[in-house]
Amino acid sequence: MAGAFDFVPAIAALPFLAFVVSLFAGQYMPKRGAEAGILATAGSLVLSIWTALTVAGITGSATFYNENFYEWVVGVADGALTLRFGVLVDPLTALMLVIVSLISLLVHVFSLGYMNDEGETGLPRYYAGLGLFTASMLAFVFSNNILMAFMFFELVGLCSYLLIGFWFREDGPPSAAKKAFLVTRFGDYFFLIGVVGILATFGTGLFAPVETASGTMASFPQLAEQALEEGAEAIYTAGYGAQTWMTILGLLVLGGVVGKSAQFPLHTWLPDAMEGPTPVSALIHAATMVAAGVYLVARMYGFYLLSPTALAIIALIGGFTALFAATMGVVKQELKQVLAYSTISQYGYMMLALGSGGYVAAVFHLTTHAVFKALLFLGAGSVIIAMHHNENMWDMGGLKEKMPVTYWTFLSGSLALAGIVPFAGFWSKDEVLFEALIHGFGTSGMLGTVYLLAYAMGLLAVFFTGLYTFRMVYLTFHGDARSETARDPEPVRWNVKGPLAVLGIGAATVGFLNMKPVAELTGLHIDFLHKWVNGPEEGGWPEALSTGLHHYETLLHDVTHVTAGYPLGETTTLLVSAAVSLGLALAGVLLARRLYGVDEPVEHTDKLGGAKTLLMHNYYQDEYQVWLAQGVTVPIARAADKFDQGVVDGVVNGVSSVSLFTGSRFRRIQSGVVSNYAALMTLSLALLLVVFVVLGGGA
Amino acid sequence: MAIATQYYLLLSAAVFCIGVYGVLTRSNALIFLMSVELMLNAANINLVAFSFHYGNLTGQVFSLFVMALAAAEVAVGIGIILVLYRNFDDVDVTKAATMRW
Repeated sequence: MAGAFDFVPAIAALPFLAFVVSLFAGQYMPKRGAEAGILATAGSLVLSIWTALTVAGITGSATFYNENFYEWVVGVADGALTLRFGVLVDPLTALMLVIVSLISLLVHVFSLGYMNDEGETGLPRYYAGLGLFTASMLAFVFSNNILMAFMFFELVGLCSYLLIGFWFREDGPPSAAKKAFLVTRFGDYFFLIGVVGILATFGTGLFAPVETASGTMASFPQLAEQALEEGAEAIYTAGYGAQTWMTILGLLVLGGVVGKSAQFPLHTWLPDAMEGPTPVSALIHAATMVAAGVYLVARMYGFYLLSPTALAIIALIGGFTALFAATMGVVKQELKQVLAYSTISQYGYMMLALGSGGYVAAVFHLTTHAVFKALLFLGAGSVIIAMHHNENMWDMGGLKEKMPVTYWTFLSGSLALAGIVPFAGFWSKDEVLFEALIHGFGTSGMLGTVYLLAYAMGLLAVFFTGLYTFRMVYLTFHGDARSETARDPEPVRWNVKGPLAVLGIGAATVGFLNMKPVAELTGLHIDFLHKWVNGPEEGGWPEALSTGLHHYETLLHDVTHVTAGYPLGETTTLLVSAAVSLGLALAGVLLARRLYGVDEPVEHTDKLGGAKTLLMHNYYQDEYQVWLAQGVTVPIARAADKFDQGVVDGVVNGVSSVSLFTGSRFRRIQSGVVSNYAALMTLSLALLLVVFVVLGGGA
Repeated sequence: MAIATQYYLLLSAAVFCIGVYGVLTRSNALIFLMSVELMLNAANINLVAFSFHYGNLTGQVFSLFVMALAAAEVAVGIGIILVLYRNFDDVDVTKAATMRW
């Protein structure tokens, strides 16, 4: 009997089918293609859950799967590359498949309320975009080699371009779509070089070794590990030492991650991407586009663990981005803008966790964030429907009584985002910070300092997260209504409330997956996610998989020399860390309550003085990048153009015009009269004879 | 007592120059053809003279080749002249001057 793993390609194929059906037959369907998308994503969800159950060992004996199933470029010569498509299913893949298909299904249902009920046109195009978006993300998730991952990574970028620019007749969306595409492309450019580098270095792009009939095909993290142990002679390293070369490759790939996951300095596309329809924002932020970057780092974590420098840079980027984006979120006036900056900030936490060796923490935060951020965006979408597409929070207020379902679910998501116990975000964010802290204390030298610095920034960001989240909640739902629409909001239907309810419950409960502090205190083994990633029993996943947590922890300890240190003893450190982050989050919430939790809130941002302008302009990042483009790149391009037109083309043109000119003079001797030609020939011969006579006949 | 070789060469040079002069000054295509024949035969005289001078038959054999070549050339030349006459009603080479830039 065919097992779940045989159907894994279908998880991505179903939404792709929905894409084709919606595109060509969507206009003949009553819901304009939504039916195809909902059916397909529901099918994907069922298959994903089946796959996850199989990985858990419940519905089958094989608990992981890694096969190549199609060779699209066959290398013939010795050492030539063979490029393949393949499927890798391990705990990380299975978890992500469930998240992506679940969020996508809910987004499809929500779109019925947000797009169909609002009478939007062009819906087949919209649902086709959603289908392709989901399909490419799912295929990216189960890619078993980095080139395949790159291809679907790019497809994800393309779909986000299509969907952000869905309302292409207005001014904003097309330009936001172009910005998103270009900024992420800029990062992907480095990713592409990294992919080529990895293929050239190791001759394979596999994430994990594949068992075939003719033996085991090694994966590139394994080969890199070997190269580090045995010296760099065996592989191509472009003249660098093995360690340096791994760092370079890792950082090149990281370029793509920074672009897609909207990390500093390539985060600028994401707030603008709010121009797209809100369900699309939910999909982009929670499960697909932005998650792709962090997922990629987790996917090839065995490779990053070989380079302490790359890890330090990841942690630093993450910590800095978390703080940087959180401060900008504090002054924004539009609901979705606040959420956009919170996304950047939360993905910063995931990068911080990955950089500081907290693999489980990162995966955990990716999971909880997917749930509560999808919830917040869909809640925002519900508010936007109610407010007739006015997103300014200063025009809202008092929506609490009018839309209770939206309010309570949104509140659940906000508590999760702010990290208030016992909502999902608290458990995951706390674990991220805890990992950074203990690894910062336990690791000697530069790396430890970097971790502590990144931890400090992440911790500070917790306060700002609480502040902006509850500023948003108070401004939107509490106090008196500040506009006509807020007094009489448009009601929303089941197709909006349903997904909100599912996610609202999720945001409150997903955190129970991995309650590490409780597990430590009570001694109960309830850190399910840890066990899930670690593997079924003692010793973790079999070595053959090589993407198991056990292997990563060994690498972290032996290669990177990152160890955990507990300044106050293990349990106390855990509790203090949790208490500090919770305290800061509560402080942020209380400050928000004091400032904005009143009937007639006023703007307090003016008190910030010059800092307000700075924050409102997003630290002038856009201006800075525009300046980079217009002030630096354009002049250089112009100079290069001048050089090309003037010198390179000039030489060619000069040669040709000289020969044209001489030709036009010389052709006059071609008179057409045969006698003249004869005379010329005779004269030339005579001249030649004279020359020979004068020069003495040569030799 | 044979004639010294240089006299043959003088004769050959004279005949050749007459041929060249004919080509340069006349405009009648037939005269052209005759002048070319003169030049070829000047070359023949040279070949035979040197052959005789060195006691080597190669030059004489070559002069036979040159004659054959001359015959072929005349055949082609006459053909060209016939076409020239058909197109221009004349055999004046200076009139057919359109094959130029």
